[in-house]
Amino acid sequence: MTYASASIPAVAAGRADRWPWFGVFAFAFLILSQAIAIITSPADRDMGDLQKIMYVHVPAAWTTFIAFFVVLVFSLRYLWKRREKDDLLAASAAEVGATFNGLTLILGMIWGRPAWGVWWTWDARLTSTLVLFLIFVGYLSLRAFVDDAERRAEWSAVVGALGAINVPIVYMSVRWWRTLHQVQSTPSSMDPAYVLGLRLNAFAFLFILIYFIRQRYHAACLQRSTEHAEEMTALGGQQS
Amino acid sequence: MTGQNLQFVIAAYGVTWLVILGYLIRVHRTLGRARLEHARVTGAQPGASQ
Amino acid sequence: MTWRRDWSRVRAIVWKDLVTERRSKAGFSSVTALGVTILVLFGFALGPDAQVLRDAAAGALWLAALFAGVLAFSRSYQVELESGALEQLLQYPGSRWTIYVGKLLSNLIFVGLMLVIVIVTAIILFQVRIPATWPSLVAILVLGVVGVVVLGTFYAGMASRIRAREVLLPLLLFPMLVPVLLAAMSASKALLTGDLMHEASAWTRLLIAYDMIFLVATLLAFEHVIEA
Repeated sequence: MTYASASIPAVAAGRADRWPWFGVFAFAFLILSQAIAIITSPADRDMGDLQKIMYVHVPAAWTTFIAFFVVLVFSLRYLWKRREKDDLLAASAAEVGATFNGLTLILGMIWGRPAWGVWWTWDARLTSTLVLFLIFVGYLSLRAFVDDAERRAEWSAVVGALGAINVPIVYMSVRWWRTLHQVQSTPSSMDPAYVLGLRLNAFAFLFILIYFIRQRYHAACLQRSTEHAEEMTALGGQQS
Repeated sequence: MTGQNLQFVIAAYGVTWLVILGYLIRVHRTLGRARLEHARVTGAQPGASQ
Repeated sequence: MTWRRDWSRVRAIVWKDLVTERRSKAGFSSVTALGVTILVLFGFALGPDAQVLRDAAAGALWLAALFAGVLAFSRSYQVELESGALEQLLQYPGSRWTIYVGKLLSNLIFVGLMLVIVIVTAIILFQVRIPATWPSLVAILVLGVVGVVVLGTFYAGMASRIRAREVLLPLLLFPMLVPVLLAAMSASKALLTGDLMHEASAWTRLLIAYDMIFLVATLLAFEHVIEA
């Protein structure tokens, strides 16, 4: 199967780039959503103001999984079609996803300390998120150490796909591990009063995710294009 | 009790914005560098590969 | 007809791998010695109290097997890489999967034999009381080892050809093995202490599912990894 390297999109500098506006919109929307959520949500009986952390922690978690899903889809797509674009998009999603993953873990700890008295509880969701983070880091490390572009794309696609298969299995195992030892699971009921704020913030994070991935992807395409141009020069002039 | 919790809420939002703005700066730097490199390489070649 | 040819190739690869290892007995001895050493270190870490050691025995055993196993996996590709034999193997016509299955089986045998010795050591060092349900324990061990070897063989095939292979193999492999290790350790621990909750059967089902899923997935993915 040939490695279709010529199909880098023409995101050349000349064309009007509307994406910065989307970025402005995404950040404005985030600020607005957080303000609305904080102001309009009533204090929780048990947790008081602590409930407000939910508006960043939960969307961060959701965006992590969306990012990883993008990695999975485009990894499989790459294995199927061998288009460089798909590999670059998967890699961009992985980098942004790892960032949100790290954020999710930190926020989980910030929430957990006052709520349960400990920085870490080994509960199913948090632990699975930690394992996911390690899978992301492995994926990015693999890419960092493989120099050949085609091999890098192929191998990270496989690693990404296998990692994605593993994540639900990890979640299930950790959950069984917890329930079999009869440890209290964290309550996940949602008071309807909080739903609007959560939805708004979830969308806000999604817009930020899309913006970040797109910008990272744009940079990756340019880098790849530069590498191609340099290869052409090294081979001695254009080939047409 | 609520006062103590407020510290954590502020920390949470602080970390969130730190990370998001931090990545924003990072991705823009990467993009800027990539643009510069691309312009340098394609500009320098007279019969550019387009 | 091709089936028979493929399977004779598999047998040839298994035989070659094992014979190479057996000729250099140092290979097997050193990996096994490493497993034992790790057990000893765990013994020091967890303290001389007999009850604590008994509780921790299952965990320590699996981790020692894992760390020693990782070395076995890397080595099984290193020999080919050094002599350029891998490229030669790929030249021959025929299915790629025979290479993978061959490596898989030889690693299973190798790790299995190592594990026997390490288990005996663990029983002694950690003062393990062998339960009446030990056949179930053996089943768990077999299923767990299969899971570890399947993914270990696969990821080692990739990592062996990258610069930072010593760190990249564990980094990629260990998160993937979390379900196997969790299931195997919990089930072993439960069986050693009487399995009051009957959890071993639940974990066994997870192990079987996991082994099947990843055996199929790695078989499908192997050609992507070995050609590139």
